[in-house]
Parts: sequence; structure tokens; C-alpha cells
Amino acid sequence: MSAVNGAVPTTIIVAGLALAGCALLMTALNRRMGGGLLVALGVLEILLLVLVGLIVAKVAGGGRPPGGLAVLIGYLVAIPLIPLAAGFWGALERSRWGPAVIAVAGLVAAVLMVRLHEIWPAIGV
Amino acid sequence: MALPQPPVSQPPASAQSPAAPQNPPPPPQSTRTGPGRLLVAVYGLFALSATARAVVQIATKFHDAPVAYLLSAFAGLVYIVATVTLGNGSPRARRIALVSCSVEFVGVLAVGTWSLLDKATFPDATVWSGYGSGYGYVPLVLPVFGLLWLRYWSRRSATKDAAADQSSSER
Repeated sequence: MSAVNGAVPTTIIVAGLALAGCALLMTALNRRMGGGLLVALGVLEILLLVLVGLIVAKVAGGGRPPGGLAVLIGYLVAIPLIPLAAGFWGALERSRWGPAVIAVAGLVAAVLMVRLHEIWPAIGV
Repeated sequence: MALPQPPVSQPPASAQSPAAPQNPPPPPQSTRTGPGRLLVAVYGLFALSATARAVVQIATKFHDAPVAYLLSAFAGLVYIVATVTLGNGSPRARRIALVSCSVEFVGVLAVGTWSLLDKATFPDATVWSGYGSGYGYVPLVLPVFGLLWLRYWSRRSATKDAAADQSSSER
């Protein structure tokens, strides 16, 4: 169980940083939003939803985070919104700055995994 | 009456030559497009995180660090105002954004210094503690970019207003 809980956040960190790297490269090369970035963002969204499901199962099973349940619930609500909001806002942009918005979402996803680990060390990184 | 519009001046920050010749980027249409798209996204992120953090802290453990939590709430409010006004982009919204970005810059410098000098008042961190060190110093850099972006827009609209004033009385 703990191996699964550790593998998903680690995958999210790697995927988020890879997405941010690709998106920043597109910004540097003056490329606009394409379908590839949106697909990658969708993959990140699925990974985040899997993680939220795992954490909800943990809480339902009686687990309580030392960092506080209210903070954890806040994270669980906010986490799946990050790729959605970035995809919507970035897709509206017809310049290099659209991918830059996607890069922010990738970085934030990675940072949030570290924060989650601080709230609840049982969620491995 | 119909004076030709003067060419719009380019921003000093994004004066790079357009790289892709097949799709030259159009000039930003509003404070929320172009580089502003990224700026509003990051402001929105901080509006969400600072406000949510302050709400949870004030609701669950206000007496642990009241000054820190109230400052977090104030920071969240400033970020919300900046996000909405930069996302709107009207002249009036830009004036409000100028105030909120200025307050934000003064706030992060003042609270950053205060948190380093008087650690007893800040047993728990705010967004602006240590000049935003807990958030990768983004809170310190963000108002600078916000103010530069607003300066670009005030200069750009001043160019337009100068042309408009020749044909109509000043507002």
C-alpha cells in the first residue's frame, strides 16, 4: 500500500517537471499552444485524480494527517483544479505565453506533492 | 477628425525579435493577454493559496499567531484584487491594479523584514515571511513584474490618449 502511495506522487513530480520543461521550451521557441500540451495536461489530471482517490481511501480507512484534516481537504479540492484552470486559461492565449501557463501548472503539481508529504508523511514522495 | 493612429510602442521587457516568421505574435490586446496571461495565472494561484491558507489558519488556530494569520488574509485579499483587475484590464482596473501591486510590493518588503527581526510575532509563516522564501521568493518578484506590466500599459495608452486629445477635449 505504501509502495503504491509513494509511486503515484513520485510519478506526478516527474510528469509535472517534464511537462513544465516541455512547455517552457515551447515558450522559449515562441511556439503557441498545441494539442500535445493539452493531452499531457490531461494525463497529469488523471494522475492527480488517482492520487486524490488514494488519499480519500486512506482518510475513509481511518487515517488522519498530522498536518490537519482541514488543510488536507483544501489540497484535495484544489489539486484537481490546477490542470483544468491552466488548460482553460492557457488555451485562450494565442501566443508563446499559453505554454508558459501550462508550465506553471506542471511546477505547481510537483510542489504540491512535496507539500502533501509535509502535511501527511504517510503520502510518500 | 480621423487622425491616423500612431504605431503602438513595444514593451521594453518583450522587445525580442519575433522568432517564428510563419506566425508572428499579435501585440497583446489587454493586460490579460500576452505576458499578462502568465502574470494573471500566477496572481490567481497566489490569490487561491494565500486566501485558502488564511481561512484555514484563522478558522482552526487563530490564537497561535494572530498577526501572521491576519497578514496572510490581507495578502490573499491583495492578490485577489490584483488578479481581478489585471484580468479585467480597463483603465479604471489598471489604476486599482497599480495600487494593489504597490501595496503588495511594500507589504512583502515590510513583512519580510518584520518577520526576520521579530520572530516572536511570527511563530507560523505568512506568504510574505522572509520575503516569500517559503514560496520560492515568487511573492517578492511578482509585484515587480506586475508594476512593469502596468507601466508598459500606461505608456501605451498615453500614446493613444495623446492622439485622441488632438481631436477631442481632454477628459
